[in-house]
Formats: sequence, C-alpha cells, structure tokens
Amino acid sequence: MPKYYIGTAGWSYKDWVPAFYPKSQSGNFNWLRFYANYFNCIEVNSSYYTYISPKTVKGWIEKVSDSDDFLFTMKLHQDFTHKKKFDEQKIRSVNYNLDMLSKAERLGGLLIQFPYSFSFNDASMDYIRRLKDIFENFSCFVEVRHSSWDKKEVYDFFKRSNITFCTIDQPQIGKAIQFEPIITNNAAYIRFHGRNTEAWTNSIKNFGKKQTYEEQSGRYKYLYTPGELVEIEQKIKTIQEKVEEIYVIMNNHPLGEAVANAFELIHLLEEKEKVDMPATIVKAFPRLEEIALDYFDPKLKLN
Amino acid sequence: MRTIFHLDLDAFFVSVERILDPTLKGKPVIVGGNPHGRGVVAACSYEARAYGLHSALPIRQAFKLCPDGIYLHGHYDEYVRFSHAVKNILSSYAPVIEQASIDEFYMDFTGCRKIYGSMFSFASKLQQEIKQKLSLPCSIGIGSNKTVAKIGSDCMKPMGITYIIPGMEKEFLSHMPVETIPGVGKVMLRELNNKGFYVIGDITKLSSYYWGSAYGKYGIDLWRKANGHGTEYLTIEREQKSISKETTFGADETSNEKVYEILFELTGKVCQTLRDEGFMASTINIKLRYSDFQTLIRSRTIKPTDDDKTVFENAKDLLMKAHTRRVGVRLIGVGVSKFSNFCEQEVLFEDDEVKRKKLFRAIDFLRRKYSYSIINFSR
Repeated sequence: MPKYYIGTAGWSYKDWVPAFYPKSQSGNFNWLRFYANYFNCIEVNSSYYTYISPKTVKGWIEKVSDSDDFLFTMKLHQDFTHKKKFDEQKIRSVNYNLDMLSKAERLGGLLIQFPYSFSFNDASMDYIRRLKDIFENFSCFVEVRHSSWDKKEVYDFFKRSNITFCTIDQPQIGKAIQFEPIITNNAAYIRFHGRNTEAWTNSIKNFGKKQTYEEQSGRYKYLYTPGELVEIEQKIKTIQEKVEEIYVIMNNHPLGEAVANAFELIHLLEEKEKVDMPATIVKAFPRLEEIALDYFDPKLKLN
Repeated sequence: MRTIFHLDLDAFFVSVERILDPTLKGKPVIVGGNPHGRGVVAACSYEARAYGLHSALPIRQAFKLCPDGIYLHGHYDEYVRFSHAVKNILSSYAPVIEQASIDEFYMDFTGCRKIYGSMFSFASKLQQEIKQKLSLPCSIGIGSNKTVAKIGSDCMKPMGITYIIPGMEKEFLSHMPVETIPGVGKVMLRELNNKGFYVIGDITKLSSYYWGSAYGKYGIDLWRKANGHGTEYLTIEREQKSISKETTFGADETSNEKVYEILFELTGKVCQTLRDEGFMASTINIKLRYSDFQTLIRSRTIKPTDDDKTVFENAKDLLMKAHTRRVGVRLIGVGVSKFSNFCEQEVLFEDDEVKRKKLFRAIDFLRRKYSYSIINFSR
C-alpha cells in the first residue's frame, strides 16, 4: 500500500469555527498545530496570493514539530500560473521557502495549478516545461482543468519530465476534465473541488467582478455524500499499487466540509476502522460518529 | 453441478439511508415518500416490518399500521452508487456476475472451490467484506441453480447465509409455503391454497403431467421449481426488454383531455429514451387504472418506430378503446417493447420519414446538450 497524505487545501478559515476548531480557544491555541494533530498533510493556498515570508514558513515548521510525518505542499503563486508575469526575485522568493521546507523534510512538493482557460497546445506545453526547469529540485504536481489535456501525448510528456499529472474532481461543466486518475510518475496528487455545479456556473458568469468571501468560496461549498466517497475510494484504489505516495486534498472548504470528508477518506482509503478526530467535527457532521475514535456523545447521560 | 450464489442486500434502501443518517438505526424507517400520498412502500426496515409493513404496501396503509415510523423520500442516486460499489467488490471475485436488480446479484462460482475453499466460509468472507467496507448487510444463498439460491438467500435474513447441499434441493423446499417460489403471486397463491396446496412438498406429490394439464407451461415450470430445478446459467448482460413511463394522478382524473395530455408527455419521454438507446419498437402498450384499482393493459403491434407521433396516435387509440367506464382515472402508463436496432437504410426513399428523422436528430441533439424540456412537441 502506498503512503497516503490526506488533508485539506488551506487551514485558516474562520468558518471552520466551531465545526473543526473549538469556539473557546486559549491564548496560545494555534490552528495549524491543532490541524496537524489529526492530519499528515496540508496544501498551502495562501502562497498563491502572496509571497510568504520565510519567517512565517519557519513558524509553520515549528508548529508541526510534534507530527512526525507531516508534509506541506505549496501552491505556486498566480504570477506564474495565471498572470504569467514573474522575475528572478519572485522565483528566488518561492525557491527559498521550498528549500527551507525541503531541508526540514517537510515538503511534499509544489502544486502548479492552471486555470480552465489554459488549454492544451505547444505553447502551453513549453510553458509547463519552463516552470519545471525553474523548480527542477522539487516534486511538481501540475493541475490543468481543461479536457484538451486528456491525451496520451500529454501523459507521455509528463512521464518524461517526471511531473505528476493532478487528478481533479470538479463540477462537470463545458470541457472540464473528468475525474480519472492518471499515473505519470511515482506520486498521485488528487484534488477535490466539490460538485456544486450551480455555484460554479454562477462564479464563471461573475468572473472578474468584485465578490465577497462567501460569494467567492460559495462554489466550493459541497459535502461529498457517502456514496460518492465510496466511488472515489474504489477509483483511487485502482491506482494504489502503481505509486508510492498518494496526496488527497479536499478543497471543498466552506464550513469545514473538507475536513469532514477528509476524515471519511482516511477511514476508507487507509482502511482504518476508527479515525482520531475532535468532538467538534462529529458534532457538526453527526454521520462521522460511526468512524470517530473514542467519541463521546455529550448528550448521553451517565448514571 | 453448478455453484450459484444469490446475494441480496438486506433492506437496501433503508441501509443506505442509515449510512446517510446514522440516527435512523434501530428505528422503523420507511422509504417511499409522503405517508399521506398515494405511493407505495419502496423499502422498509426490519423494525417497520414488525408492524406488518412490507414492500409495495400502499403508503397510506403503512402509515395507519405504523404512524410513528420515519417516512423518507429516498436518495435514489445514492442507492445506485452503493449498488455499483457492491458490484465492484463482487466483480473482484466472481468469474460471472448477473445483476438482477439494484440490490440483487447472482454469481457463478462453479469450479472455484480450489481457489476460494469452502463455499460457505467464502460466502461469509464476502458478506463481511461488504459489511466492513460499505456498511451494508446482505444475505447469501448458495445453490445448484438460480431459483434455489434465491430462495436460500431469502430464508435467513438479515445477514444470513444458506447453503443448499446439492441433491437436497427438493427436501430443502418441501416444507416451505408455496408462495416462496418466485413467480407465485397473490392470485396463484389463492388458487393453490383453494386446491389444498400449502407447502412446496404438496406440489411435488403430483406429476408434471397434472401441472402441465392444469396450468400449461407455467404449471410445468412451477413443478420444476418445486422439485428444486431452475436456471443454471446466468445472463451476463441483461437486455432491456421494454421502456415505459407511468404516472399516478394527484387526484383521480375525470377529464379525458387531461388524461391524453399526460399520455402525450409520457410518450415523449419514452420515445426519447428509445432514440437514445438507438432502438425501434414494434409493440406499444398502455396501462389504465381506474380509481377503484381496476387495471387494464392493452397492446398493439405495428411497424417498428421511434417516432413520438406514431407511438402517441396508437397509444391514444388503445387508451380510448380501453377507457369505457365513467369512473375517474388513477394512473396511466405507456410503454414500448419488441425492439429492433435502428436501420437508416429502410427509410431512405420516403421523404416525410427522412424529414422526421432529421427533425428527431436535431431534437435529440438539443436535449442532450441542454435538457429534455428545452424543446417539446405540441399536440
């Protein structure tokens, strides 16, 4: 069985209180430390919006010091993937943080996520090659969302370049690439964006307009059903003999739904009968009670 | 001698509902919709069965028997997902598998003893795996043919395993009530009981000659089943034999025009499915149920078609001829059967038909791209 790294995309969401983080928190309560008690992987998303200071990254490494096998994967800044405007200084900034995590043995790899509009052609392939050359020292996971990439020529290129072709689950609109695990090297990187087709369609319509946090994140609002999770589990298990590491990242973050589904996938994929999880999440998602380790229902009265 | 497994998921819809909402455990749960509506029980938990409820019971009657039950509309998509998941697990073991319905599977394990060991222990392993991985309970019957295996799976529910030792089929069945035999419905049960046949052993006391003379082919089949015989080979890919749609009116319908309007809508949906499958059908059926539950089924065979207009004209004609009583209509349905694959060559020289084919192709395209309701025919 490969090593599973199952976690969420980001951890700093206010609306995860009280569904995951408790409501009453002591002064030194830290969200990342709390998160790392339960998961062995996190995808850093803030690195897509800002260039994170090395001091912050150093703080993260300290906060997960109690979790032996915990890894970070970093999402590459939008300057590289969406705006396509970057310079040496920006490359250095990204590299510095990746280096620091790598030396601390806390780096899973670099997520390079392109928008739906980034479709397959020679120029796009060249661009991916260029980015891989820049970040050649790190494992690269490339996410493309357009179905034009779904072809053997692309997979061969990824294999030759030792790049992981990300598998994604997203609402099936237009020419969105389908959820089908493809193996191009010794790792699989699987991201779940939810299946909220309606909100996803609206968000495409409102692209570029100023939106509130709720409006922006609304398209990720989705709780995978037990049946969908079982389907996902069976599909992922078809590739588990072919890779050494499988990253499973839940990006359906609103209201902690990603956390609930991540726990369910730990149960299914790692075949753990019971999973260690906080009482907060069981309270918010009662169906987790079945798989929660040492869960005590506070409503029960002891005689 | 063959080794056939019949695996039946116990109270499947309810089991899935309990995965979705574990607080339903241990409670009488009924899937089938509004307890004050006109539907029937699609599935109910064993706790609900204790109140006398069973599948196909009108839901209003169920509510009278079990007013404190939890009535749910059900999550069909979720049932389909779990059914696929079960099939995936079974497919990893069974050389041949036939899915008989959403919650029933036949598997042929003939000659697999050397691989899997004792068939009883292996069935237990399968049962445990499905319970552990999917939290779904199931019962398994092992027999030398499909009929015996199916009866076996049914007699130790839930989470039962029944192995009918080859050669002991007749003895196994002899004390069971006659209605245990698949295919014996209410009418046949009354008929058999009136003649003094109560258990399956009563049937085998008479010769096949008697059963053949009394009930023809059906009688001989009944006698064979009672003696522990049955189909030994599985149908790997079950062919679709008919396509139909029906609807129950919210209140009994007295307006003919309204009935035809609904018939028109149902016909449209049936024909769309027919074209999507690439079939032409040559038999058209209608179903008419009056408010007093009298139900009539009429059919007609015509030249193969997939055209809404032809199907509707025939269905309407059948319905008009069948609808003779001045009583409200409770349900109508339309169906097509006897399929042949679409053959374009035959219509090349008939202008109107070619035009209509083109029209349907355009409609099919639009409906596939957007939705069924994007374009509709007017009557």
